[in-house]
Amino acid sequence: MDPREQETVIRMSRRNFLKRSAGVGTGIMVVGGLPAFLAACGTSATSVPSGGGAAASAAATAAGGGGGAAVALNVLAPAAPDPAPPGVAKFSDAAVAAFAKWQTDNNAKVAYEAPPWPQLHDKMQTAFASGNPPWDVVYMSGWVPEFAGNLVSMGDMIPADLKADLPPSSFSTTTWGGKTYGVVFTLSLLTLFYNTEHFATAGITQPPKTWDDLKTYVKELTKPGQYGWVLNYGAPEGIGGTASYWMVYLQQAGGKMYGSDSMPVFNDTPGVDALQLMLDLNKAGTDPGSISYVGINDATNVFTAGKASMMMNWPFTWMPAQDPTTSKIVGKIGDALLPAGPNGTASIDGTDAWTITTASKSPDLAMKLIEFYLDKDVQKSQAIDTGWLPIRLSVLNDPEVQAKATNAKTVLEQSQHPYDSFVTPDYNQVTQALGTEIQKALKGEKTAAQAIKDASDQVTAIVKKRG
Amino acid sequence: MSAQHGATWPLGRFRTSGYLGRRRRTGILLVLPALLVMLAVLAYPIVSSIVLSLQHVEPGGGKFSGRWVGLDNYINIGSDPAFGTALSNSIYFTAIEVVAVVGLGLAMAMLLNHPLGRSAFFRVILLIPWALAPVANAVIWKWIYNANYGILNFVLHQLGVVNQYVVWLGERQLALNSLLVADIWKSIPFIALLLLAGLQNVPPILYRAARLDGASAWQAFRFVTLPHMRTTILICVVLQSIWALKVFDLIYVLTKGGPADGTVLLNFLSYRQTFDFGDFGYGAALADILFLMMFVLALIYLRTFRPTPGARQAGT
Repeated sequence: MDPREQETVIRMSRRNFLKRSAGVGTGIMVVGGLPAFLAACGTSATSVPSGGGAAASAAATAAGGGGGAAVALNVLAPAAPDPAPPGVAKFSDAAVAAFAKWQTDNNAKVAYEAPPWPQLHDKMQTAFASGNPPWDVVYMSGWVPEFAGNLVSMGDMIPADLKADLPPSSFSTTTWGGKTYGVVFTLSLLTLFYNTEHFATAGITQPPKTWDDLKTYVKELTKPGQYGWVLNYGAPEGIGGTASYWMVYLQQAGGKMYGSDSMPVFNDTPGVDALQLMLDLNKAGTDPGSISYVGINDATNVFTAGKASMMMNWPFTWMPAQDPTTSKIVGKIGDALLPAGPNGTASIDGTDAWTITTASKSPDLAMKLIEFYLDKDVQKSQAIDTGWLPIRLSVLNDPEVQAKATNAKTVLEQSQHPYDSFVTPDYNQVTQALGTEIQKALKGEKTAAQAIKDASDQVTAIVKKRG
Repeated sequence: MSAQHGATWPLGRFRTSGYLGRRRRTGILLVLPALLVMLAVLAYPIVSSIVLSLQHVEPGGGKFSGRWVGLDNYINIGSDPAFGTALSNSIYFTAIEVVAVVGLGLAMAMLLNHPLGRSAFFRVILLIPWALAPVANAVIWKWIYNANYGILNFVLHQLGVVNQYVVWLGERQLALNSLLVADIWKSIPFIALLLLAGLQNVPPILYRAARLDGASAWQAFRFVTLPHMRTTILICVVLQSIWALKVFDLIYVLTKGGPADGTVLLNFLSYRQTFDFGDFGYGAALADILFLMMFVLALIYLRTFRPTPGARQAGT
């Protein structure tokens, strides 16, 4: 064979091979590979959340006894130290064993996805927007109105004896449009925490009872290296953001966010007085760093380091504040009702609740799991082992719980007074607008009256847009 | 004649029989899988985002249903005060960051190019900020800037630079500048290495010639180094501009856009509208504007990289 001819044959063969390979590759890609690839990119109805990445995933092992494969229940919960369930937070051995037994008895396998709390809302937003959230049970915190369309109405599913043991007011933040979409599982109200040593040094014998007391004490307690008051004003939105703290004072002043027509009504004397109190506290001796703290932990660290004398905080603070490895004020913490404004004391609640998604294939089993989370023994372990108070009144009054969580009594008493968090479907947007205006006032760029008026205008526009 | 050519090309070239035609068809078949993947992972999200920006999207109810609103989302952007703040913040942030990163990066590269600085040890040290995970970097800076415990306050106070601790993230401009410092610190290493590669391509003979001509160090830098580094510096400017516009982690961890929206940049604003407020259409419109800005910068980048006609001919 002519060498040139031979070379041509070889080159032709190679080209043909490449052409065929490319054709086969393209065919596989189009016919099989690409759809599979795209399907993998999307959410799958049968996917089990891995909880990988940053999420502190905890797959609770279940025996899966009984007949047939165990039914998978996927739960989205916050990571500890936020209120997390057995299998995520550190509960007692008895509670852990009870959790395993519950799974065996119910032929269920619970898989958790437990990212840090700040990631929860956005994770839900994305998953619900996809129309195919991978969870059966989802933790909520003030977002029930926003995601109500994705949640199962469970008012009729809650057993009567459980319902009777819960504060009726706990359902206010999980009820929207007349339907109940969740069960609150921890009584988490803001109350006052104070440093008893600072008080004693300053000759103060009891916690502040009124706004005037509070302002006076903050001023008296502030000295080099120590501030009378600390809070996190850095992030305006959400529960525990700048706007939500103002809502506490708003209720104490006798005001409210919305009228009967759902339009904002806070541009009034109580609204302005509430913000003026924040400005007065700033002037009297609030830690100047407060405006830069974007989370409650930032402010709590200042308090537990003994650099601030008072703050309002959630009940869970009590336990880490008594831990010598994280706190310098062990044995020096007092708690009390929030100081009363013109209309008495008031607070907001964390609205930590369990809900069931409409995507759940086992809503009844999901409800049983929620009932387990609210079981008396689990609630007791929740209070004693994790520091998050129970919501069941019988457990709250349990002597053992009150002995361990000595702030339970104060929180229970605080719950006898108003504690509305004013959650709506556009809560994040409303609190962002409101909180940003409050920040401007705190920085001296606006008066209290001007900031509240501007905030009211913005919130009105948001509510009108919602329709 | 030209119209006829326009009608037959490129399809005509594709249909050409013979060796060249087969070669082209084979080539196209070979790159087709890659093109399909590119379309799926790049073009589809971009087109989808543009389509989303023309709708008012209600993500509730287990559905992702949108209502066509035309250009309403883009029109609303014009009257959104947060957009104005975010745009001016983004421009300020990008401009300062690019100047600082490229300037300091060039200085760093020159030090590393010096005979005393050529040890691999220095390059490893230099890379540490770049190698840090973005969120870890942000958390480190959060502690550095802490108003009560931050090491920055401690050091400045010990040195007598400040009388009392400064709330670095408490004032709008100060907070924005503090974020800038943190991001500049992280961005310098990569740019410095790029510039170092450029510096090492400057023929040493030019420096010798300059010295023989009596040029000072500054004159050698001005008339030898800079002209040869022009393209590299331009690439660094474009890349750093794109990266500066995309900053998110620092804002999310350190300030959440506060105080009073003082550190909101376009990327963060788009995120907030989309995921915090659930306004997917408006968030997509904001993201598309940011995309457009980056696209223009990318075009400049490609144009910078485009071979000159002479080089193209030499290549063929």
